[in-house]
Amino acid sequence: MPTLAFKRITSLWIIVVLVLFLSAISMGILMRFAQGSVSPMDPAKFYVLMTTHGVTMIGAWAAASILACNYLMARYVKVSTGLNLFALIGTGVGVALLWTSTFSGNFHAGWTFLYPLPFKAGGGWQAAAANQFLWGLMLLSIVWLIWCLGMVWQILQKYSLPQAFAWQHLSKKEPAVETPPLILITMVSLVGMIVCFITAIILLAMFFSESGWGLSGKPVLEAKLDPLLMKNLTFFFGHTVANEALYLGLAVVYELLPELGGRPKLHTSWYVSLGWNCAVLFILTAFFHHLYMDFVQPQGFQIVGQVASYLASVPSVVVTLISLAAVLYGRGFRWSLPSLMFLVGAAGWIIGGIGALIDATISNNIILHNTLWVPAHFHTYNLMGNVLFALGFFCWVADDFRGTVDPRKHGLKLVLMIIGGFGFVLMFYLGGAYSVPRRFAFYPAELTHAQLFATMGAWFALVYSLGLLLVVLNVLKKCFLVFLPQRS
Amino acid sequence: MSPHTFILTLFLILAAIGAAFFIHLYRVSCSTEGPGLKKVGAKRLFTLVLLLAVFLILLSVTLPKSPYYRFTDVVPEKTVHVTAMQYTYMMSYDAFKPDMSDYKPPEGGVITLPAGKPVEFRVTSADVNHGFAIYNDKFELVTQTQAMPHYVNRLRWQFDKPGTYTLLCLEFCSSGHPAMRGMFTVK
Ligand code: HEM
Ligand SMILES: [Cu+2]
Repeated sequence: MPTLAFKRITSLWIIVVLVLFLSAISMGILMRFAQGSVSPMDPAKFYVLMTTHGVTMIGAWAAASILACNYLMARYVKVSTGLNLFALIGTGVGVALLWTSTFSGNFHAGWTFLYPLPFKAGGGWQAAAANQFLWGLMLLSIVWLIWCLGMVWQILQKYSLPQAFAWQHLSKKEPAVETPPLILITMVSLVGMIVCFITAIILLAMFFSESGWGLSGKPVLEAKLDPLLMKNLTFFFGHTVANEALYLGLAVVYELLPELGGRPKLHTSWYVSLGWNCAVLFILTAFFHHLYMDFVQPQGFQIVGQVASYLASVPSVVVTLISLAAVLYGRGFRWSLPSLMFLVGAAGWIIGGIGALIDATISNNIILHNTLWVPAHFHTYNLMGNVLFALGFFCWVADDFRGTVDPRKHGLKLVLMIIGGFGFVLMFYLGGAYSVPRRFAFYPAELTHAQLFATMGAWFALVYSLGLLLVVLNVLKKCFLVFLPQRS
Repeated sequence: MSPHTFILTLFLILAAIGAAFFIHLYRVSCSTEGPGLKKVGAKRLFTLVLLLAVFLILLSVTLPKSPYYRFTDVVPEKTVHVTAMQYTYMMSYDAFKPDMSDYKPPEGGVITLPAGKPVEFRVTSADVNHGFAIYNDKFELVTQTQAMPHYVNRLRWQFDKPGTYTLLCLEFCSSGHPAMRGMFTVK
């Protein structure tokens, strides 16, 4: 059971994540209105917002997913308040560096910062701003690497390494030690995260080998590193971190959904174990689909990219979707806001996955690569998937802090989020299908439909935010209450 | 149906099926009486086989259409050398050095390509990563490749419709990115 201190650090984290989320959403809405020419923006300013929005969102929800798993892990293993406090402080410093580099240093190379763009600003920003941004990421990678390693260590205090991966379930029907799905999924996802933070650290070190290790950096006159290698590393990191975050979110759903609806716990079986072990392997090679349009990339990797992207969806559907169906089917399930968020989140995850698979098909990628189809599908499984998994957890945990349960559905708030969220991403899909490029601060006059989609997208996002705000204010209030002296 | 409309329609249909599945789940979960999910194991196996079969078919249909395997056994009628840079494209029929010292602009200032014949673009970049995306006169994306420094991507294509084609950059290259443009004509 979580101690009071652990509850407090968890609610502090939730407050930070929600504040970051709300501010990054406002940046998103400003960007979409700018693209719709409702409130045009200087491109440099637009890209400052875009860079900050991307890195903040990915970071906030990856952290939220890690945090949620750690809180629930406390049911099975010993967790540490100190570790999460360390992660929070480290993250705070990292975010401060990132935001200073963008808002005050004007750094705007995009959150995927493809080499050598950070060093070729064309006067847009100084070497110091680039190094500050890269250091912000470096710090986050190091701190989160330690965070994830710490959690793996917590798991390994109770389970042996093979048990943590639930391998004993592969051969035995009812092994002596059962690995709960939460532990299994958290473990495999953390391993993925660890691999990806190590990659990030190597990648960033390669940047620093040219721009110097100081915070002030130095101008890079000749960029000598291999841009193809750097691009592979960048997407290995960026793609993987986003996907593992989603998997951690699913771990929460496995743990909480049955319980919230009054159903028996989900158990690990051989296919759950096999499915999750495979999923992580596939996801580590699927990132190659980001380089389909680099024809110099070895062709074998391109094929691996498409095959792995397809295969990664098989365990998800065959194991997770069917297990969820078995939980829900015909049983007088008790719905409340968190469980409804999990359900809608699973839908967003699957629908975003369909969009991703279409784009991961090389022959489609020719006309979809770097169009709005890309933000379309990842916003679907982030905004309508990962965010809802974590937010569902937030709503549940804010009550769990005081041992209460809110049985209400809060249907209206959720409906606002559903209409707003899916409407917002639909406008991205329409733009993407009809060739509107992503990351355009304004659209060429010939792309007549682009502006209309952008403006409508912004309005939908406002509807989403309204529903969200109503939910979040309630959660925030309960999180603050944990800091008052507690009666016991 | 244009490939663009096809992709959108396919997605909307699949997404609707996905949504219908979840709505169905919600409805059956609310009914107070009723059986649980029966024969879960069989359903799981069926889904697995179905998915694998669909993916196998999709892979065998779509992989051969990948750009790497198209127009490989033809001799391009014309070759265009392209160097992308913040925020423009330099194009010539003759190869030129990255520093442009021997750059020869095309006659009349505009690259002109033959309709109905395979052509090749050799695309590189002088500074950062850029995109090289070809839009037709209706501003539909026709095909594309990346422009990466130190590397040359060879994009082969055959333009069946004469007209003016516009180039847009599809890899973010800093603040001039949305204004980066090029063009050529097909006759
Ligand atoms: C209502 C909420 C949101 C709005 C209004 C919004 C809006 C936007 C817009 C307008 C863009 C630029 C699209 C373009 O390329 O033209 C963007 C990019 C992006 N968004 Fe969001 N977004 C939202 C939520 C999220 C969430 C929840 C995440 C992740 C968890 C996220 C992650 C990103 C990332 C990674 C990018 C790419 C940045 C880049 O290209 O460097 N967004 N968003
Ligand atoms: Cu460009």
